[in-house]
Amino acid sequence: MVVSMQADWIYGLGGGLLIGLAAASYLLVNGRIMGASGIIGGLTDGSGRDTWAERSSFLIGLVGVPALISVSFGATPTHLTTNVVTVVAAGLLVGIGTRLANGCTSGHGVCGISRLSLRGIVATAVFILSGGLTILLFRHVLGVI
Amino acid sequence: MQRNLFAALAGGLFGAGLLISGMTDTLKVQGWLDVFGQWDPTLAFVMGGAILPMIAAWQLAARMGLSRLGSPLPLRPDHRLERNLVVGSALFGIGWALAGLCPGPALASVSFGGWGSLLFLSAMLAGMVLAPALRRRINRQQHNRGTSLMEIRHLTDRYAVSPQIGPEDVAALKAAGFVRVICNRPDGEIPGALHAAQMRKHVEAAGLEFVDNQIVPGNFTAEIIATQARALDATGPVFAYCASGNRSSVVWAMSQAGKVPAETLITTAARWGYNLEPYRDRLG
Repeated sequence: MVVSMQADWIYGLGGGLLIGLAAASYLLVNGRIMGASGIIGGLTDGSGRDTWAERSSFLIGLVGVPALISVSFGATPTHLTTNVVTVVAAGLLVGIGTRLANGCTSGHGVCGISRLSLRGIVATAVFILSGGLTILLFRHVLGVI
Repeated sequence: MQRNLFAALAGGLFGAGLLISGMTDTLKVQGWLDVFGQWDPTLAFVMGGAILPMIAAWQLAARMGLSRLGSPLPLRPDHRLERNLVVGSALFGIGWALAGLCPGPALASVSFGGWGSLLFLSAMLAGMVLAPALRRRINRQQHNRGTSLMEIRHLTDRYAVSPQIGPEDVAALKAAGFVRVICNRPDGEIPGALHAAQMRKHVEAAGLEFVDNQIVPGNFTAEIIATQARALDATGPVFAYCASGNRSSVVWAMSQAGKVPAETLITTAARWGYNLEPYRDRLG
């Protein structure tokens, strides 16, 4: 248990560095902020019509590389709940929420906090707080997730 | 082509990072949010690891002006805290906790996560399609209560621009210390309530001066530049608006040509995402 915990930290930090390098490259080479919800959102609401090729390329990489890794080394379990209502409700909330807030964990969390953007810091604080309260309510009070 | 290739590389690196860090495992994310249960600190290491290279990247970006592929870099953070930001983040947090997925990992795991991942992604896309209508509603509510959503974009400490403003923004301009407002947007582009004559009434009622210098896109005549230059000569900071703030930036840069190096003018405007590169020959 203790050993696997330590390995988790190391994988977390290493994977985190790769995420940061991806965001740094997208900023310095393409001149764009790497926010997953914004990149997809520009395709769903038409605001990214002029940059659809760049957005789609990013998404192809984001879906494709993990697909290749999972085919080569075996898929890692996602442990996603099998409760259809929870999955649909969660998906809708994530979709609506990130578009209203103009960002998610990558855009506000990684790219915003690293430049000390007030919006990024406030958004991250709010979604962590609301996420923490949700777990408290649904896991410990109601016992449903 | 090059742009798409680098975008795919960044996306791929992002996906690999999410997978390796364990962020496609929904239990890890829920475990991190579970402060009162068995807390899993992994996500903090992922966030920390990702933020470190980005701190360096922002420092580097501040010295670059343009990105490697020639796009303006988004340098100045936006500090407006509208209701949409807070409401949206709160809703996102609930969904994030319920499933343990946010948009990045949802995409990274869709190829191997089975039907559940596909269902989540479909619902997320549906939510994204529904969001703009809701956003307009929340914006309208704030607008009706007279809350200013304007972002003041300073090009110098004496001149700032912004996209189209409305009557509800005038008080914020006065509070920010501006003494004069320049309208660079032709009446033909906007509804009557925002026409220059109407905006003049609101601006002058607040005790600020108003200058009507409407610019049809691309039509930067010597007369228009001279009018802007005269309007810039004020006792305090001057504010100008058009549709996006682009025309107000271009005409300002042209009025400064010869006094300030073209490169400085271009990088100053690029900080706000305004591309003055096409006008370089008129700035030198």
